[in-house]
Amino acid sequence: MATTWYSAPAPVARRVRGYFAPVNRAAQTPVLFDPSEQGGFSLDAPPTPWMSLGWIQDFSRKSTSKTTAVLTGIPAAATEQVRETLEAQVSLEFLNWTKLTMALATGSQHMNLLAPASGTTPSADGAQAVSAVTPQSGSTATSIVLASSDAAKFLPGSIIAADVDYTGQTGYVGSPVAGAYVRQALTDVDYVRRVTFNVALVASVSSTGLTLAEPLPGGALQPGMKVQAVSGFVDREGGSFYQEWSALFVVEGSQGERVIFNYPRLQSMTGAEEMAMPLNSKNQDWPSRVLLKAQFLALPVTDPLDGERVVCYRSFLPAANALV
Amino acid sequence: MQNAKDSFYMALRTRLVAINPERTMLLRGAVRPGILVEEAEAPMSQPPSDVFVLRWLGLGIDTDISTSMAAEQCEIVYQTCGSQSFGGLDRGRALSEMDEELTAMIEPYWTPKLNYAATPPGTMLTKVFWEEPSFAPIQIQRDRLLRTASVIVYSYQEQGE
Repeated sequence: MATTWYSAPAPVARRVRGYFAPVNRAAQTPVLFDPSEQGGFSLDAPPTPWMSLGWIQDFSRKSTSKTTAVLTGIPAAATEQVRETLEAQVSLEFLNWTKLTMALATGSQHMNLLAPASGTTPSADGAQAVSAVTPQSGSTATSIVLASSDAAKFLPGSIIAADVDYTGQTGYVGSPVAGAYVRQALTDVDYVRRVTFNVALVASVSSTGLTLAEPLPGGALQPGMKVQAVSGFVDREGGSFYQEWSALFVVEGSQGERVIFNYPRLQSMTGAEEMAMPLNSKNQDWPSRVLLKAQFLALPVTDPLDGERVVCYRSFLPAANALV
Repeated sequence: MQNAKDSFYMALRTRLVAINPERTMLLRGAVRPGILVEEAEAPMSQPPSDVFVLRWLGLGIDTDISTSMAAEQCEIVYQTCGSQSFGGLDRGRALSEMDEELTAMIEPYWTPKLNYAATPPGTMLTKVFWEEPSFAPIQIQRDRLLRTASVIVYSYQEQGE
């Protein structure tokens, strides 16, 4: 009879894929990931609302939890152990620069550089912006319907930000991801669009509006949202806001097996930092690729299964036919 | 190990047909996709032009794991003189085209392992996988441009192999 199993050695993997999903900061609710139901997802099409950040490099994780022994007797001997602190850290390097990877790799809020109005006073995080335009009904996640005079203000290949006007609210702002925490009322009507993650590239412009190259992360525009052109991004060393995301890291082995690390709550823990990776490892004088280095602190959640507090779930989905 | 070599060759051949169905050759009286295994054909003084030639070289075995793993070095040689209609002046472009085809053929970096000694071929339990190719500089032989790419192909030795 033909053998239908084999003894699988340790997984052999080329790289690690990273996926992030926004934590609802106001409700302190992370995004759930169920490896039994979703573990086999296509790496190029993660389940909603997870966003792929592509391949990552130098992924490393370490537990910094401390345990201590409970000593009894004379002479004292360890009779059991207790967990004194619960903590873990994750570090990695992103291989591409996007709004999301930049934001994750900075310890503070990440802002959009709104296209400036002419003749305004220069500012380190973007001057007063050109007025936002109001979309018309019928807009979707990839198509924004505008009056022809408003559409003419945008160019193909430009970036847009879509979110509501700032009207003095405090607390977490930005949709669908909290982009900042406002402690006291501000005066900039464009502030929410400065910090929003609801950004996309314009593929084409017509007299009836904009067609986007990628869907807006927040989906179809909500009532009250307006659109502004973005010329780039800026973040700062300092500030009091910490990015917090749910994260998945997937290691796919050569035989199709998967190791999935699920961190329900990761907060960036260091300021912005870059790494230079020479394109030719044998010649350090060659041009270097500039990578975004990110370091995160894992925060705990309470597992409803048994009430235990945990910071990470590690799942293993074995290869077909492999002995377990 | 032969199953891994066969599976690697057949994976590349299938992918080449999808990438560039016009890259064909006449070999032993039959029109076939433009890729061959050197050790499976009659000895030739010079590899044919505009065809990918797979040449198996080094071999390493890791027996320190629960299932032995073989690492086989495959050299992929291809050369071109360009086309007659352009008098060979397009040989650089023709080689670039083959570079791109090989880069596309190599991905994804794995394929199921099949036993081609059986008819029809039998699917085995494991997969064959490999690294990114390392491309050597172009060699110029008169009007001929030649490139060699090297790939390490890994496979687990299943029972009965």
